[in-house]
Parts: sequence; structure tokens; C-alpha cells
Amino acid sequence: MSTITFHHGDGAVDTLDVAPGTSVMRAAVSNGVRGIVGECGGQAMCATCHVYVRPGYLAVLPEIGDDEDEMLDCTADPRDPRRSRLGCQVTLGEGLDTLEVDVPGSQV
Amino acid sequence: MTDSTLANSTPAEQTPPPRAVPVADWVTIDDLFRDPFPIYRRMREEAPVHWVPAVNRYMVTSYDACHTIENDQDVFSANEDGSLMKRAMGHSMLRKDDPEHMVDRQSYGTVLRPKAIKETWLRIFQQNSETYLARLKAAGPGADLVWDYAAPYAAENLRIIMGFHNASQEDMQRWSQTMINGTGNYADDPAVWAASEQSFREVDDAIDEMLPRLRANPDASLLSGLAAMPIPLEAIRANMKMTIGGGLNEPRDVLGVAVWALLDHPGQRDQVLADTSLFPRAFEEAVRWVAPIGMYPRQTTRDTVLEGVFLPKGARLGVVIGAANRDPAKFADPEAFDINREKVPHLAFGGGNHFCAGTWVARSSVADVALPQLFAQLPNLRLDPDNPAVDAGWVFRGMTALPVLWD
Repeated sequence: MSTITFHHGDGAVDTLDVAPGTSVMRAAVSNGVRGIVGECGGQAMCATCHVYVRPGYLAVLPEIGDDEDEMLDCTADPRDPRRSRLGCQVTLGEGLDTLEVDVPGSQV
Repeated sequence: MTDSTLANSTPAEQTPPPRAVPVADWVTIDDLFRDPFPIYRRMREEAPVHWVPAVNRYMVTSYDACHTIENDQDVFSANEDGSLMKRAMGHSMLRKDDPEHMVDRQSYGTVLRPKAIKETWLRIFQQNSETYLARLKAAGPGADLVWDYAAPYAAENLRIIMGFHNASQEDMQRWSQTMINGTGNYADDPAVWAASEQSFREVDDAIDEMLPRLRANPDASLLSGLAAMPIPLEAIRANMKMTIGGGLNEPRDVLGVAVWALLDHPGQRDQVLADTSLFPRAFEEAVRWVAPIGMYPRQTTRDTVLEGVFLPKGARLGVVIGAANRDPAKFADPEAFDINREKVPHLAFGGGNHFCAGTWVARSSVADVALPQLFAQLPNLRLDPDNPAVDAGWVFRGMTALPVLWD
């Protein structure tokens, strides 16, 4: 199992154990993590699964693709040039067994 | 999960037995067409799902139930038996499940995405808005904002994005309306089918003519992209017809509703005019308040329980996002148009794998271009007290008349 931790703006924390191959968005939506919407079901089309990845994990993330890049310019809360990612494009497992992200204040 | 904030689901042993689905035999099509919202409110208060004899479907009206359906294509299939849309437009991606749906969806590439809008389409939206705003001004105060501006504007935008360089915006409007009428032809009216089938053939002919032209001279359009892909012609034809039906009336209608709502709420109109960065909020609230596509179909693939209500295998459902978007469990004071409401995700663009492919085109063409231009160029834009605006429809809803005055 892989572990992902969601840090909310009010200090609350959700930690989930998920099967490898699960995206950050799917993990959050399946478990009712507040603040992650995932309107488009994982097509990098809606920018409502925006997360800020904590700095210690940035080096092991996959590159940002073109679709994800343009959608990160459409997020409700401002894009962080280093830490912003779409949760649907980041998948646990394969060198990413643990991950910590901050949940933005708004997705819409 | 290790955090207590997530432990709010009901343990399985406490789940109550499913209830039988209630029957809403008091619902009529005429009442829905005039004003569906009081009907939706009564239905939501009774149960999340009803069998509605007049519609010959189960109607799903709660936000949570609609959201569940959108995210579970294994149980709630888009590939409906006896679909009128398949007859009117062919078997498009909108009536397919994954993985077949995803092949079609990916064939649209990046044409409708934000980068292409910024680099190619935004400039065209601005030109088209100028063109049809000039037409509206020439018609003079008392002109109809929907028919003299919003409809030709949305049609011309779509014509160019799709690559129908051999058609007119009037063709696009006729094709869209006649095939949508076919999709909703539950009465099986032969005249409606004849008009729909005429458009079906005209669209096929237009596609057949354009594909070789665009292979020889490619551009940024949808048809040009499709011309270069190994996609079966039948899929191209069906998806183009679905896109004509799904890409014209909807931006037209949200534009009409947004203008009507702002003019009917002068405080909010003044707020937006004082801070034009609020036009996108007005757009999102308009599309929540009156979803241009109010209902779409799904069909159960097995016996299931939805929000406590039993549904048999093969049940034909109407996912009523027009009702879900006014669910008080999700939206405070849901019947009110309020651009200052707390931001909550609405379902007007659908959700899951069928999330509207044209979402960003609609946001850009309506919220970034049309609304600001209209209010900037028509001083003291206002409703006509002698000629009332008319809103109508339920499967599709918008303004059928929007006469306006300006100074």
C-alpha cells in the first residue's frame, strides 16, 4: 500500500492508505476528502483536483504534461510555479510510496 | 484511512432496506416545459428518485444521486437502449461508455482546450461578437438579444471551431435545432423526424466535402484534426452531430439567461459592472441556476440501490441536473440567482468521463467575450417593460424571447 496525506488549511489532516496505481484525485474522491472535486473524472480537463505538493516530494514526481500544464493555469486558487499539480495526473506507487499535499482553499 | 474526519459513512449493518420508488403521476410535460423548478422542489423533498409516467423514465433529482450516477458508468450506462439521440444523430461518444467512449473523446485532441482557445479561438470569438453586436445595434432598441445576437454568435463560433467552412451559421442553427428536436421526439412526430433526418443528411454531406479539403489544407478545427486520424467515418459523423447539438444552443442559452438574470437583479448587475472580473462568477451562477441541459439519460446495467431507492436492471433514468443544481442540501437559498453565494461545484457541465468537452469554449466565449462586450457597448442595457422576456424548457432550458432596450 501507498500512503498519501492531505493537509487542509484549517490544520486538519487526512491520511489514506491506497493501492499502488491510484491517483491522488481518485484516492481523495473515493474517500470523501473535502476540498478535492475531480469534476472531469481524471481527464485533466477541469482543474478541480488542484493540490500543492509538499517540497520534499517534488523531486520524485513525474514531469508536468502539456494538458496538465495548461489546466494548471485555470485553477481557482493561484498556481504555485513549483508545487502545483493536478491530483489526477499524479499516481501513487513506482517510486512514490508516500506523498504529502496541501489542499487549496477553493477548487471552483 | 486514519483520520476521524472521514469516518462519517453509515456502517453497512445499519443501512436501512431499500425503499420502493415513489410514482410522480402528477407531473406533466406541459408543466415541466413552463417552469420545472417547483416540480423539482416537490420531488426532491419526497425522494431522490421517482418513476414519472408522463416522461416514461425514473427522474433523479437530488445532487448526491446525480453525482453518484455520473461517476459510476459500470452501473449507470450512457449506452441507452432505444435512444432517440442515437436515431437523431448516430451513435456518438455521448452514448458510449469507456473504453469505447475514450477513443472518440481523445480524437478531439486539444482543439477545445484552454491553450487552443487562447492561441486561436479567442480572437475569433471577439470578431464574431463585434459582428453580431453590430447587427443587434442595427436592429435597434427592442431587438431580441437571443435571436439577434446570442444565437448567431454561438453558431458562428461553433461553425469555425468545427471547420464547417462550407456552411453558414444559419445552417448550424437549423441543424442543431432540428436534430435536438429529433432527440426529444418522444411523441414520434413524423414531421419532426423528417426535419431531423434532412439535417442528418446535410451534415453528412458537409463532412464528406470538408474532410478532403482539410486533409489538403489543414487548420486548427475539429474536422481538420479528425481528418488526420484513423477514426471510422461513422464515429466522426455521429460525434460532429452531437457537437452541433451540444455546442450551440447551450452557450446561446447560458448567455441569454445570464443577461436576463443580471438585468432582473440590478444590484448584482451594478456589482459586476463596477468589477468586470466578476463576469465569470455571473456565468457560473447562471449555468447553475438554469442548466442549459437540464436532463440527460442513463440506464442501469444491473439491479441497484441509489440513495436508498431500489432500481431494477435496465431502468431508464433521467439525470436531472437542473434539479440537482437547486438541491438545498448542497446550495443555500438554491432558487435565488446570487453571484455572491458560497462557491460550490455545480453539475451543469456534467461530471466524470462525460464532463462537457466544450466547457472552456463556453466560459471563454460567454464570460470573457460576450458578456463584457454587451454591457460595455450597450449603455443602460435593460429589459423592455412592454415586451417581457420568456424562459422555457426543461430537458433544454433557456430564453425563448429576450427583448432589450438601451440608450
